[in-house]
Amino acid sequence: MLILESLWSTWIVPAAFGGVAWGILGGALPGISPSITMALLLPLTYGMDPTVAIVMLASTYVGAEYGGSIPAILIRTPGTNAAAATVVDGYAMKQQGRAGEALGISLYSGFVGGLFGLAMLVLLAEPLSNVALAFTPQAYFALGVLGLSVIASLSRESLIKGLIAGVLGLMISTIGTDPVTGTSRFTFDSPDLLSGIPPILVMVGLFAIGEMLAQTGEPSLQDVPERPRIRFPGPAMWRRIALPQLIGSVIGTMEGVMPGGGGAVSSFLAYNEARRWSRHKEEFGKGSPEGIAAPEAANNTVACTALVPMLSLGIPSSNSAAVLLGGFLLHGLLPGPMLFVQNPDVVDGLFLGLFVANIAMVIVGYLIMGPCIWLVSRPKPYLMAFIYALVVSGVFAIEASEFHVAVALAFGVLGYVMRSAGVPLLPMVLGVVLGFLVESNYRRALVLSGGDHMIFIQDRLAAVLLSLALIFIVGSLYRHAIETRPKPRA
Amino acid sequence: MVGAQGKYPRSVVMLSTHSSPGGGSDVFLREMAPHLSRVMGVKIVVDNLAGGSGAKAMAVLAKSKPDGGLFYATTPTFIYTSLLSRPAATYRDLEPIVNIFYDPEVLYTATNSNFKTLDQVLQHARTGKGRWGAANPASLERQVMEQLRQKTKVAPVIATFEGGGDMLISVLNHTLDMGIGELQEIRAQLDAGRVRILGVAGDARISQYPDVKTLKEQGIDLAVRKFRGIAGPKATPPAVIAAWEAAVPRLLADPAYQKIYLKNGLLPGFIGHAEYQKFMGDFGRQTEAFLKQSGVIR
Repeated sequence: MLILESLWSTWIVPAAFGGVAWGILGGALPGISPSITMALLLPLTYGMDPTVAIVMLASTYVGAEYGGSIPAILIRTPGTNAAAATVVDGYAMKQQGRAGEALGISLYSGFVGGLFGLAMLVLLAEPLSNVALAFTPQAYFALGVLGLSVIASLSRESLIKGLIAGVLGLMISTIGTDPVTGTSRFTFDSPDLLSGIPPILVMVGLFAIGEMLAQTGEPSLQDVPERPRIRFPGPAMWRRIALPQLIGSVIGTMEGVMPGGGGAVSSFLAYNEARRWSRHKEEFGKGSPEGIAAPEAANNTVACTALVPMLSLGIPSSNSAAVLLGGFLLHGLLPGPMLFVQNPDVVDGLFLGLFVANIAMVIVGYLIMGPCIWLVSRPKPYLMAFIYALVVSGVFAIEASEFHVAVALAFGVLGYVMRSAGVPLLPMVLGVVLGFLVESNYRRALVLSGGDHMIFIQDRLAAVLLSLALIFIVGSLYRHAIETRPKPRA
Repeated sequence: MVGAQGKYPRSVVMLSTHSSPGGGSDVFLREMAPHLSRVMGVKIVVDNLAGGSGAKAMAVLAKSKPDGGLFYATTPTFIYTSLLSRPAATYRDLEPIVNIFYDPEVLYTATNSNFKTLDQVLQHARTGKGRWGAANPASLERQVMEQLRQKTKVAPVIATFEGGGDMLISVLNHTLDMGIGELQEIRAQLDAGRVRILGVAGDARISQYPDVKTLKEQGIDLAVRKFRGIAGPKATPPAVIAAWEAAVPRLLADPAYQKIYLKNGLLPGFIGHAEYQKFMGDFGRQTEAFLKQSGVIR
């Protein structure tokens, strides 16, 4: 077998393992996004063989998407945008002393999703790249609305509070350069605000810093007995999480191939769908393994399928894919329709490397899990100080910007206030992540149609996505009405 | 070795960019660095000073010592950032040293669209149904499209996007009649025969595509120069400037590097120090006038 030979005779395997380990580390550090993790590595790959360099970068992406779930589960802080949906049930399990199990499910689901995505990438790159081409501005708008419709079911405690949080998030996303006119909005002449507030800062503030503020105000809890060991799911659990994994993988495949997504939308949609189809709906939000399996399968699928438009069209669908594109260009390779013809060796090497990376993710993930769990089971004062230092240095490291640190701290205070007032955090995150996508494409579509709203219905894809969003919202409201109806006395 | 002035005062020269690793300017600089190192006889290191769309890099540069050790890789971005916000230091606080390249801006459409020539696109726009695209709202590309609209007296809508990739999709799926971008951005699709160049918005044709006419040749008096050069702190010593003026023409003539930059669609565009100062001043004034006219700034 020529392929297997090249596996052992080159640096592909060590590169995949190294990339995954680096990626898990970067993904697990709150504030460091997968794209930044990759960007930090990029200059080091300059002298490497092109295939090895590309494999290393792509493996970093794979590792980072898993790594993001570690702090999401252990300290209620998503390390990456796409891990935000994992926080809900992951942290609930941790509080029940099931952190090892939660991490095992996340790792296993990431592995399943990664392999699914890789299969899609290898087998269906060509047809899937046509999906990307079907997306018009009006379809992107509809996709964003579909993502936002999840807010309705994320805010089951209080719909009003959920909507307030969502709208606040949308408002934050309007900061920066106006997408149509180019005017600066709410930037107060500060160049730091020209490109808007990065969603990762909002998340780090709301979740990590807000959580720390909340926890320092509470007395030390009786320690939850915790076995510092990872537990992989057994056959019964395999069966239970198979459906959520499939849901996550399919949704992840779709989002990965669409430029502009980047994983966060699919995680939330997958979480939402997993709940809809679950036989244990009541467990969601209280530590459901399915609530971890779906988003984690989705974001690892995206890490592979995001390469579809990047490789076949030369168009990156996320920041991480953009860094990978930079890696290709640095090595004189030009992703696009001709890459498969001109450099088939690089493409084959990359596919092989991604396969190794998914296996490496399980091995490396397993090895570092014990220390991670041990670390977060230290006494609270140590833990809080450690997380604080970690978060602030992580945020600062991105661009050595004091401004970013200040933004994250400000959102920390906001997160604390929201927590105290019982306002859910996830709708706000969704608003920040999707606001710009929704707004810019809405206005772009109207520029193209001369102000005629019919354009959203005439585009078939947009019409389908908008109808789905409508069904979601009406369905959630209906459920909400039934659940909150005063029960008649027996 | 730097010619008559003797040895370059520093052994390591940092070239900073506002682009993060993997971004357009970053890739360009990292490709250029080894060749420039060879030509100048110093070690060239690329440093990413990302943040604030160039504001940070400008601030660092403006405060740095003018000893020839730190420079900023210029693109029109630093002028736009200076005009759109109030950064601590603007392009006026830096010394333009030399220009190296131009990125040719081309108008393009999908090969399988109904439009085969720029004239057909313009004819269609006369019906009031034209749809053109530019990558970013406040950018040189948008400026070209707005000027084209004025000069040809047609009234298409101009949609703006969040980068060239986004817009490319809208051209490929025929949402747009045509788009504008750097040659590098569309090269993959161009090689695959999926997009067609309609015209070059520059002073000269592109050597790899000798059949494609410039806009001027097509009777439209419109040419822009998207520059890539070097700026340093004010009061950079004349010896250092002279070293750059001597090195860049030799870099551009270097056969090994020539092969790379021509493949990437860059046009050699050396401009010496004195002229580059004037160039930058003119560019800034024109951009400011455009931004004011289109209501982006007051």
